[in-house]
Amino acid sequence: MSSPVLQLTGLSKSYGHGDIFSGISFEVGSSKTVGLFGQSGSGKTTLGRCIMRIENPSSGHIMMQGMDLARMGLRKLRELRPSFQMIFQHPEVSLNPRMTLAESVAEPLMVHKGIGMDEALKEIAPLIRRVGLRDEHLARYPHQLSGGEVQRAVLSRIFSLQPKLVVADEPTSMLDVSVQAQVLRLMQDLQKETGVSYLFISHDPDVMSVMCDQVLWLDHGNGVMYDRTAFLDRVKTEYTPVAPA
Amino acid sequence: MTLLSVQDLNVRFPSGEGTVHASRDVSFSMEPGEVLGLVGETGSGKSVIGQAIIRLLPTSAQITGKIRFDGQELTSLPDHTMHALRGRSISLVPQNPSGSLDPLVRNGMQIAEIFIERGTVKNTAWEKACALLVAVGLIPSDQIAKEYPHELSGGMRQRLTTSIAIAEHSRLIIADEPTKGLDYHARATTAQVLSDIRTRENASLLLITHDLYLAEHLCDWIAVLYAGEIVEIGPAHQIFTQPRHPYTQALIKAMPKNGLVPLDGQSPSLMAIPKGCCFADRCSCHSEICSKEHPGLIQGSLNGGVRCHHPFCS
Repeated sequence: MSSPVLQLTGLSKSYGHGDIFSGISFEVGSSKTVGLFGQSGSGKTTLGRCIMRIENPSSGHIMMQGMDLARMGLRKLRELRPSFQMIFQHPEVSLNPRMTLAESVAEPLMVHKGIGMDEALKEIAPLIRRVGLRDEHLARYPHQLSGGEVQRAVLSRIFSLQPKLVVADEPTSMLDVSVQAQVLRLMQDLQKETGVSYLFISHDPDVMSVMCDQVLWLDHGNGVMYDRTAFLDRVKTEYTPVAPA
Repeated sequence: MTLLSVQDLNVRFPSGEGTVHASRDVSFSMEPGEVLGLVGETGSGKSVIGQAIIRLLPTSAQITGKIRFDGQELTSLPDHTMHALRGRSISLVPQNPSGSLDPLVRNGMQIAEIFIERGTVKNTAWEKACALLVAVGLIPSDQIAKEYPHELSGGMRQRLTTSIAIAEHSRLIIADEPTKGLDYHARATTAQVLSDIRTRENASLLLITHDLYLAEHLCDWIAVLYAGEIVEIGPAHQIFTQPRHPYTQALIKAMPKNGLVPLDGQSPSLMAIPKGCCFADRCSCHSEICSKEHPGLIQGSLNGGVRCHHPFCS
C-alpha cells in the first residue's frame, strides 16, 4: 500500500475558552475521500483550516510528503502550498470581487510559477473548459456569476496547481440541489482523472455517503472514524427524519 | 374561502442591458392553513413572487397581474393600507436572518419592539417576547432574550426571525429559504417550528425553498419554478411520486439520496427567454414542437398542472 497523502496524529486546537477538538488522528490515502462530519460548531471547519495552516494547531502533527506541516516555517509552507488547496463554503466571497474571472483563474499559476497572465491563461484553458466554464465567463466579475459558476472557477484555480490534497469545506451547502449534483460529480471526475485526495467537510449525511470512503464524525471535540456502512448506521440512530407535520 | 390568489403575475426589471423577466404568468391560490412550496433553483424567480405579494420589490419593478389576499387586491392597495397589512396579516421570514436583525438590539427587544410600536407597555411587551421565544424553542428564553444576535447560532437566529414573523398571528407567512446553509438538526427544528405555526395558528405558509426534503415534508402543494414560470404544480406527494415535467424529474434525481444525477447545462438568461419551451435545450425528450411553441399549463389526468409538450416522457 502506498503511503498516505495526509496523516494527522494527536492534532488539537484550543482557544482561550477551551478545546475545539483534541487528539484527532487519521490518514487520507491517495485518491481517497475522507469526510469530516459534525453539527455546526463541532470544529469541522477549524480542523480543515488547521490542516491548511490558515490557523495554527495547538499540538499534534500534520504529516504530508514526509514533512510536518504543523511545525513548518512560512517560507517552506509557501513552497509546498500548491500541493494542498482548499475550497471554501461561501462562493460569493471566494474570489476577489475586483478581479475578472480570467485574472482570478490565472492568478495561482502566475504566483506559483512566476509566469505572465497570457501564458497562465493558455496553460489553464483546457482546465477551464473541463470544469464547464466558457470563454464568455472569463470577462465577468464574481458578482455576475452564479454560485455554481464560482465554485467551478475555484476548482479550475485549484486544479491548475495539480494538488495532492484538497480540503473542501461544504463546497455545495449554499448551492441548489441540481447545481450541487453538477459540482460534486465534477469533483469526483477530477479525482478519477488526477488522483487527488479530498478531505470533504459537510453536515449533510446524504452528501457524505455519496462522496466519502470514510467519515470522521466530530462530536464535542472528539473524532471517531467510520466506514460508509457504519457511518450510515450511526446516522440512522441519531438522525430522525426532518420533522413531519 | 381562498386566502390568497395570484393570477398571471408578471414581474419585470428594466436594466441597461435589457429587461429581466423575473416572473412570468405565475398563477396559484392558497386556502387558509395550507402550505404551498415554491421550489426551483437560484434565479428561477421564487423570491420575487414572495416579495411581490408583500410588496417589498424595488420601485423599478414592473408588476402586472392580480394578487388577491382575503378579498383585497394587493397590487392596487394604497401604500399606507399595505403598510398596515404588512407584519400584521402577512409576514415575511426573510432569507438572511443575520442581516435582518439589528446587531445592537437585544434578542428580546427585536420582538418586543413590535408590541411597543403598537402601544403595549415595555414590561408586557418583553414578557410577550419571551413567550414567543419559548414558542420557537429558544430556551431558557429569559436568558436568550437578554443576549444579542451575534451570540446565537445560525439556526437560532433563524428561529428568532421566525418568532418575529408569528408575533402578530399573521394569516399568511412567507418563509424565504428558511433552511439555507443550516445543518441537519437546525433544519429539523426550523421545520418543526414552521409546521407548528400552521397547527397552532392555522396560518397559511408560502414556503420558498430549494430544499426539496423540507418541501416534501412540510408542503400540501408544490409549485416547481423554472426560468420565472411555474412548470409544474400539484399535491406534494404527487410531485415526488409521479413527477410529470422532465425538470421536476431531474431535480428529484439530483437529490443525493436519489443518486445525485446531475442535470447538464443551465437555465436560460431571464433577459433572453426562448420562444418555445424554456427547458427544451436541457431536455432529453424534446422534439420539434418544443423549440417552436411555448407550452401552456395543462391539467391532464392528475391534479394541478404541467407545462410540457411531452409530460412523463423520461
